[in-house]
Amino acid sequence: MIVWWLGNVVLLVVVLPVVVILLKGVLSAARVIVPNIQAIITVASAATKDLEPIPLLLTTQSYIIKTVETVANYGGSLNVILDDA
Amino acid sequence: MTPAAVVTILITLAIVLALVVYLLLIIVELRTITADLNVVIAAVVTLVRQTVPVNDVVTTINRQLDAGVDLLEGLLVQKAGMQDAVGLVEGLFPASAPKSFRKQGRPKGSVPRIGEVYTRGTLILARLGREAPIAAGNPAGAAIRDVVYASASSRLLYPDPRRATGSSRENLPRTPVIGKDSPNQYEVKEEAYKPRKVLPEGAVAEGPPPVRAPTRGPGIFGAKADPAPPPDAEPEAPATGRSSAIGLRPWER
Repeated sequence: MIVWWLGNVVLLVVVLPVVVILLKGVLSAARVIVPNIQAIITVASAATKDLEPIPLLLTTQSYIIKTVETVANYGGSLNVILDDA
Repeated sequence: MTPAAVVTILITLAIVLALVVYLLLIIVELRTITADLNVVIAAVVTLVRQTVPVNDVVTTINRQLDAGVDLLEGLLVQKAGMQDAVGLVEGLFPASAPKSFRKQGRPKGSVPRIGEVYTRGTLILARLGREAPIAAGNPAGAAIRDVVYASASSRLLYPDPRRATGSSRENLPRTPVIGKDSPNQYEVKEEAYKPRKVLPEGAVAEGPPPVRAPTRGPGIFGAKADPAPPPDAEPEAPATGRSSAIGLRPWER
């Protein structure tokens, strides 16, 4: 009977506080994650908006190709009218 | 049931109750996290979808730009020579020569310093009829886009006999001073500032003295022009034909 009572005391003094402390720690960690996730959502939304003009890179690519072609044509003309060193 | 058993049951119930309460709270938080992560994942998927063509496009752009740079560098090296090309690039873009001319092979040794005006290029442009100078950058500042500086550089290429020092425009003779303050004063004619004379009818206007024809001296043929006639001699009949310095022509004699 004394051992049983000792077991009850251990349950009440040790096990119950340990369980409560551990669960409270897990809950605190879970609650800290939430604002971080909210911040990530904000950043991701902003990044999505910033990357919306990316399709314009195709236009830039076409312009650069045309520019290089024009430069090549001018280079050919310069190659004809200028003497070599 | 012994009291010890009842206490054990109560303590166990308390532990289970604590577990239930906290685990429920944790479940609620984890569900919130899951919902937020779904939003994040959707945004990231959008990002990934938008950035898929970036790699290919940027690679193509870089390839095209590299081709253009190689073309221009090759043309510059071909036309100006490697030494002058490196000097020009270094003059325009300081400390960029080591990164340039990758395919042409960078020259070893010191980079020549191209001054304010690249004489060879300027002469080439002058030969082609272009007045724009090729001015490289110098420590005094950018000269290639300075219109006044560049025009002053190119102006030196052309002859300017009036220029002594500095700009030719400053050494041109000044505009003469006219009026009362003029250092050169001239006589004022009497007719000046008066109405024009009106002559009566039949009057002969005073003209300038008749111009006398110059008397002809002895020519190479010995003939004398305008010989003085003798006082009692009859005037010679006018010749029917054309006379010349040597007399009548053979068919007129």
